[in-house]
Amino acid sequence: MALINVAAREIHCKIVYYGPGLCGKTTNLKYIHSAVPGHAKGDLLSIATETERTLFFDFLPLDLGQVHGFQTRFHLYTVPGQVLYERTRVAVLNGADGVVFVADSQQNKLREDIISLQELARNIQAEGKKFLEFPLVLQYNKRDVPNALPLEQMDHYLNSSIKVPRYEAIASKGVGVFDTLKSISKLVISKL
Amino acid sequence: MDPQLTSLVVSQAETTHIEDTLERLVAETGANYSMLLDKSGQVIAASGDTDRQDITALGALLAGTFASSREVARLLKEKDFRVLFQQGVRENIFTELISEQWMLVVMFDKRTHIGLVKVLSKRATDELASILERVKLESRAKDHIISTNFRTSVEDTIDLLFKD
Repeated sequence: MALINVAAREIHCKIVYYGPGLCGKTTNLKYIHSAVPGHAKGDLLSIATETERTLFFDFLPLDLGQVHGFQTRFHLYTVPGQVLYERTRVAVLNGADGVVFVADSQQNKLREDIISLQELARNIQAEGKKFLEFPLVLQYNKRDVPNALPLEQMDHYLNSSIKVPRYEAIASKGVGVFDTLKSISKLVISKL
Repeated sequence: MDPQLTSLVVSQAETTHIEDTLERLVAETGANYSMLLDKSGQVIAASGDTDRQDITALGALLAGTFASSREVARLLKEKDFRVLFQQGVRENIFTELISEQWMLVVMFDKRTHIGLVKVLSKRATDELASILERVKLESRAKDHIISTNFRTSVEDTIDLLFKD
């Protein structure tokens, strides 16, 4: 739930990057952190294992500066993607205003994508929210791998029933990262 | 919590009430500072010597810790853990849940006794709970704060800032 502080004239929104293990959620945040101008970002905080896998979450605060007298801030989080961390994902998802679902385009990852998206739907409904009305954007990541599924198939399996905005991406090179971020930020603001 | 309520709007007057409560808690316990967080990790208000740390990151981490303990409670079939205490060599952190939605955090060192923090935090959480209930009710009626102009301007800023 967004926080609007009238006295401090601040607006805070929380956006969570969700998806199966190794799909590129942290890579998205790392790219955003490297490309956003210094005055608009805080430190990227990562709680990861020794092997650089996300253990709890990554956190990146972004500051849009003054808009109509309000300091507008987005807090970006990632969840740990590995199956065993399901309850941790629930914890990070708490109070989110919008979600980016990062899907892995590799053919052999489709099953994991589908299971993870279904789990997301369950977790959002468990918070008492309607999944189909919740601000959500899909990102089909790793479009450059040789075994990437054709776009139509990704759409068919992941987006045919929910019909949300979706973007192709190669997060490691920054392709599509900002298109995704722009889309979810605007969706979140439209629901404030 | 009403899941359909998308924003919590804290008015100037209620912010003052919240800050007064936090200030009194810091003064009476001798703590270093205290903060009010919402469950998503946003810092609603803070009082005391907050310049020493990055409270935005602290808010995110402490809310994460609390959310994680909520899941532990669920696994243990416990209703919830309403209090968390982290003890360090120099600093200690006392966190108490307010309703199901917010957290009061008190940072203190060895000059302050944990018992005092517990007792006075209980009083503060009761006060904050009633303030926050009012804030929730008011939030329903304050949609006009976010105007169409505001949304358009934010969108322009997003386009300007979020680019390669």
